[in-house]
Amino acid sequence: MVLTIFTAVAVVSLVGASLAAVLVISERYLNDYGQCNITINDEHQLEVEGGRDLLSLLTTEKIFIPSACGGRGTCGLCKLKVLEGAGPLLPTEEPYLDETERKSNVRLACQVKVRRDLKIEIPKELFAIREYTCKCTEIRDLTYDMKQFRFELIEPKTIDYIPGQYVQLQTPAYEKSSEEVYRAYSIASDPAGKNIIDLIIRLVPGGICTTYCFEYLKVGDQMKMNGPYGEFRLSETDAPIVFIAGGSGMAPIKCMLHHMKNTQNKRKATYYFGANRPQDLCLLDLMKEFEKQLSDFHFVPSISEPGDTGNIEYEKGLVTDAVRKRLKNARECEAYLCGSPGMIEAAIKVLLELGTKEENIFYDKFE
Amino acid sequence: MKESPQNKKLDTMLRSSKLVAGGFMGNDTRSVSEIIDADKKELSRLGLTSEQVAGRMQQITNLAKSGLGTWVRIDNNLEAKTDEARGFLPCPWPHSGRLVKRVTIARRAETSETIQWSDLNIHLIGKHCFFQGKGSAFRIEPKKLIEMIF
Repeated sequence: MVLTIFTAVAVVSLVGASLAAVLVISERYLNDYGQCNITINDEHQLEVEGGRDLLSLLTTEKIFIPSACGGRGTCGLCKLKVLEGAGPLLPTEEPYLDETERKSNVRLACQVKVRRDLKIEIPKELFAIREYTCKCTEIRDLTYDMKQFRFELIEPKTIDYIPGQYVQLQTPAYEKSSEEVYRAYSIASDPAGKNIIDLIIRLVPGGICTTYCFEYLKVGDQMKMNGPYGEFRLSETDAPIVFIAGGSGMAPIKCMLHHMKNTQNKRKATYYFGANRPQDLCLLDLMKEFEKQLSDFHFVPSISEPGDTGNIEYEKGLVTDAVRKRLKNARECEAYLCGSPGMIEAAIKVLLELGTKEENIFYDKFE
Repeated sequence: MKESPQNKKLDTMLRSSKLVAGGFMGNDTRSVSEIIDADKKELSRLGLTSEQVAGRMQQITNLAKSGLGTWVRIDNNLEAKTDEARGFLPCPWPHSGRLVKRVTIARRAETSETIQWSDLNIHLIGKHCFFQGKGSAFRIEPKKLIEMIF
């Protein structure tokens, strides 16, 4: 009796395993989807070899869709509209798409397999995104857990971007990561230097990309990045500006300040920088220079646990306390925020209470 | 005990560094089921369930979030702060969902002893009773955790 049951289970398992193997082998070797056409925005047409996912096929064709997880379906960033040919929505896509997106045929490019002709829609600005080979030329300690990495572009040699945008840095496979990964970092450099990209990176415990940059990357090493991406940018109005950012959130604000200096922008601007301790502050000399060079700019650091602050002038408390205390013309202001979701939410709440219009609050959440 | 194919696949995923640098298993040679079983026994000995432990961790994280990175008093003996980074982490188990990259650090007032956990730790403990392998960056010892936060 026991032997019969054992034999039956073994036979069923064997049949199941064989069928699975046949499926895998046929998918890998026998399924020939042939040439497929991808029509983009009714304007461009690509002829590609079918069988791979849409994200990697577009990347091969040098069309870069934002993706922070390298196509594993975990970041939900590679959204685009697939109007024809995608097949049904997959369970792996569902958590990342709301009802409106589903009705508009938005899909995750990394999860859509190209098996037939496709019609897709992508934002036009994505055609301007390029992949850059670059060389790390400087690594500068900013704080105990934050560094500025300078990359010189090798090919293409120059990049055009709008201050506030970000790039995706490719970390190669290394001892602590078995595959390449991409992570998004805001550009911190002076946009006048078109062959330089500075990134401000804070060490994340267990982070694949930050661990690589902090422990393995050396001056002279080559890396790849693609971009620029993002909608975070200064408006073209004359409204007074409130910048709020702490830690590596300083990167896009620094870039915007360089741009304001280069273009002799006369807008009134105040930068509230939040830090826990004095040792979290950085680039104070540069901020002082901006105060001299820009027509009406003030840098206001706030420190919640002051300790020994030397001769630094600061507000004591949270960055939101400093904003609440010092911001007098909130109704007229435009606010530009960059940082953790918690800080952004708290800052938005204070700004709205002080009278800043919701449509005048712009932010780059760490997502 | 013979491992199921699903557990073997999960074990491989947890030992790889696809999601976090160095993986979730550290230098622990035990299988994922053995680690979970051992920690379940330890929890049972300490009189708590993994759901209760994760619930308390989440409660502390929620209170600490309001400090925007500064220390927040949780109770007479405990304070905590959170630190957030850009991006999300998915659970290595085969189900959908992702968690923000947030780390909570809890500190006992009388000893200044600290313990840290990520939002992913809370999920892994609450849903899968997985405290990670010994030697991994975010391994949490159940006994120490319970002594610190209860």
